[in-house]
Amino acid sequence: MTNPFREDLVSRSRPESCTVVIFGATGDLTHRKLVPALYNLAVDGELPTGVKIIGFARREKSDAEFREGLLELNRKVSRSGHDDAIWGPFSENISYHQSEFTDPDGYKRLAERLDAIDQERGRKGNRLFYIASAPEFFDPILISLKEAGLNEAAPGCWSRVIVEKPFGTDLATAKHLNEVVNATFHESDTYRIDHYLGKETAQNLMVLRFANAIFEPLWNSRYISHIQITCAENLGMEGGRGGYYDHAGALRDMVQNHLLQLLSLVAMEPPTDLSADGVRDEKVKVIRSLRQWDTPEKVAANVVRAQYTAGHIDGAAVPGYREEDRVNPESTTEAYVAVRLLIDTWRWSGVPFYIRMGKRLPKKSTEISVHFKPAPCVLFNALPGGVPGGNVLVIRIQPDEGISLRMVSKLPGTSLRLEPVKMDFHYATSFGKGSPEAYERLLLDAMAGDATLFARRDEVEEAWKFIDHIEHAWHQSDNPPPMANFTAGSWGPKEADDLLDQDGHAWRRL
Amino acid sequence: MDPELGEEVPVASIDKELRKLWEADEVHTNASLINLVTCSEQTGSLRQNSAIIRELTREHACRAILVEFDRTVEIPSIRAWITAHCHLAEGKKSVCCEQIAFVFTGRVTGRFRNTVFGHLNSDLPLVFWWQGELSDVFRERLSSVIDRLVIDSSSWADPVANFVRLNEAVASSTLDLVVQDLAWTRTWQYRLSLAGMFDDPVALSALPSIETVRIVHHPKHRSSALQLLAWISIQAGWRQGLGLAASHEGPVETFPLESKSGHAITASLEADESSAPLGLLELNAPGVTVRISRTAGAAHLLRELITSANSQTSLAPADPDDDAGLVGAQLARGGKNTLYRKVLPRFLELLGD
Ligand SMILES: NC(=O)c1ccc[n+]([C@@H]2O[C@H](COP(=O)([O-])OP(=O)(O)OC[C@H]3O[C@@H](n4cnc5c(N)ncnc54)[C@H](OP(=O)(O)O)[C@@H]3O)[C@@H](O)[C@H]2O)c1
Repeated sequence: MTNPFREDLVSRSRPESCTVVIFGATGDLTHRKLVPALYNLAVDGELPTGVKIIGFARREKSDAEFREGLLELNRKVSRSGHDDAIWGPFSENISYHQSEFTDPDGYKRLAERLDAIDQERGRKGNRLFYIASAPEFFDPILISLKEAGLNEAAPGCWSRVIVEKPFGTDLATAKHLNEVVNATFHESDTYRIDHYLGKETAQNLMVLRFANAIFEPLWNSRYISHIQITCAENLGMEGGRGGYYDHAGALRDMVQNHLLQLLSLVAMEPPTDLSADGVRDEKVKVIRSLRQWDTPEKVAANVVRAQYTAGHIDGAAVPGYREEDRVNPESTTEAYVAVRLLIDTWRWSGVPFYIRMGKRLPKKSTEISVHFKPAPCVLFNALPGGVPGGNVLVIRIQPDEGISLRMVSKLPGTSLRLEPVKMDFHYATSFGKGSPEAYERLLLDAMAGDATLFARRDEVEEAWKFIDHIEHAWHQSDNPPPMANFTAGSWGPKEADDLLDQDGHAWRRL
Repeated sequence: MDPELGEEVPVASIDKELRKLWEADEVHTNASLINLVTCSEQTGSLRQNSAIIRELTREHACRAILVEFDRTVEIPSIRAWITAHCHLAEGKKSVCCEQIAFVFTGRVTGRFRNTVFGHLNSDLPLVFWWQGELSDVFRERLSSVIDRLVIDSSSWADPVANFVRLNEAVASSTLDLVVQDLAWTRTWQYRLSLAGMFDDPVALSALPSIETVRIVHHPKHRSSALQLLAWISIQAGWRQGLGLAASHEGPVETFPLESKSGHAITASLEADESSAPLGLLELNAPGVTVRISRTAGAAHLLRELITSANSQTSLAPADPDDDAGLVGAQLARGGKNTLYRKVLPRFLELLGD
């Protein structure tokens, strides 16, 4: 029997009540993102009734201490502010489970706890396991869940797992992790999180492309000259993140997942439907069609890696990458990467995509810019100054989400002079209401069994395949392409400018 | 200069004066996503509506046109004021929305339509908020150019007659006119919560054996209470009980209904001066009670699922009480309001009882 009151009420798949078990619950991610996201769902009345949250971590803590710590952070970071009237009943459903990730007894006790919750409820319940630990624990947690029988759901119920990033460090580890995950949970119960896909503008990309009749006819090599995806950060290695980052690097930390996901949303063919697999089938085809940079020469010709040297950001002096906290002074890890990508499909033949990601750039900004070919300028070529640049459609992901379109217009006056002008749409200006945090949307989707905004196994592996060639050329070949340098606070190395210059293009000034 | 409505300007130079507002200004961003027209025959409505628009534009950038019809003066005249409502967006940018306010006196036919339509932002959807009874002015073929019509059926002295007029307007509309009844908007969070509670298998399995439905409402909000009941009965597949008439005893009205399998369900509506617009919704089956309640003024609904074994409580947001909040909530949700259209016939049947 279906719930008749749901009919026609809201246009999203229905989240179902469950017990959420968070592994690594005393950590930063749980306190800053996960619990505030669940709390904000409760504020909006979107959290299904009866959701329980169990935090799993190593140190000794009482339920009350655990809640106290979560409360303290929620006050600081919650999107909609903090309201004790909501927090009170919400936090009554939060408890703490102390155990080592590798202690079988801890999982046995967890199973008993989950059974007790079911008993209290009077029936079997759904379970959502959120693995928010350091990646080295992904395997032991999954294996222990299986050994404790927690991967199996009771009849009529489900048992799902959400896995945080990083999903592997190369193709081999990702494949291994996928095997462990799929030996424990069905692929359809596996949710690999990529929080970029939970962002409003990322979701709006499909709407922009497929709900507007004017863009799609132009969305191909006939009209588009090239596409740029930029993810700039002004921060460096503050807060001890150097320890993790120096092992990962820009390519693995951001490009393999977030930026290739954005690329596939921009470049994919229209899906046959909006189902999770309908969309992901098309996305993975894009990644699969990437031309592989599989020799050091090709990497040298198409990829630029760099580290920053000491410089200034917002007037303050900042250290060079190798002088940063917890970074190896002889590090060969890239803090900046620029890649030229070619997608070998009918639609994109000959259209280069350029991706760049860097730390300690002048400002924080993520955007996609679509650069159209110039109009045939037979009419205006003779004018002094000619025609100033082609049309550019910019999709800003963060901050200040929005969309703008650059076009050419006549300068007012009796003579004919052309200047670029910009049509601009800001979410915050037009819709005063803030968007939900990515984690809110994604947690709700996982409770609803909607995996559209999560990465599928083949997507992850195809992306690693592409990335691995580059990593290999950098770190394992006999003639590794060089590491470039740029001053912190500038827009990256000259080599990256040259990469576009060779094709007659230039990076967009943000 | 009116402190609320802004500068009075000749009707013929409204556009020029609006441009002047922005000419010297480099700090503010002028934004609008919709045209929002409010119409009222109540004296003093302009200032009230201007205050509402100020609130509303925090989240919904619009070109606002406020209209008041002054029936006390017979000589035809139009006066106009312009102003802008500005808010800091994300603490950084000041975003402003233009507002034009009109007072019409005398017979308004023709003049009203032309004046309002002459000042719309082209290409943006037109949301038309008609306040109070649907009078003759409303019938002036307005509906042909409106995208959304906002009304509040709880403000109508004679709902049946007004709904007849409304249906005529919808039928004659050339566009796909979406009617948004604020009385219906006031039931939104109750409906969401009820749907959420029936996601629970225990509640869902008790649905076929529901015996009573109790709704407590403020006397001014009978329309919302009836719409809520109409929605529940339609979704659950209940019929109106045969042979039994609705009855009215003091503040309590009773409606006999019948489940799919033919068992009797008693629905009661109770008017209570101290209640929130909707104060309580309770569905009872043997051994299971689903209850949603709200004390007047509270920001939350209290949801309780009580079974013989245990009880679960949780909070959910409540619908706003003020008009600005309700219209804002409607604008944020958008949609075609198909559910309202589906529920309307049953609501009218209950209304007629
Ligand atoms: N932080 C973010 O904003 C963010 C963003 C995106 C992705 N991520 C990913 O999310 C994951 C977690 O990040 P985080 O920043 O929350 O990490 P964190 O602050 O270092 O937290 C690690 C958690 O794991 C627990 N833990 C470590 N060893 C354990 C063991 N042997 N047994 C039981 N518990 C153990 C810790 O418990 P005790 O404190 O009790 O030792 C703590 O709760 C990482 O994979 C990271 O890449 C984080």
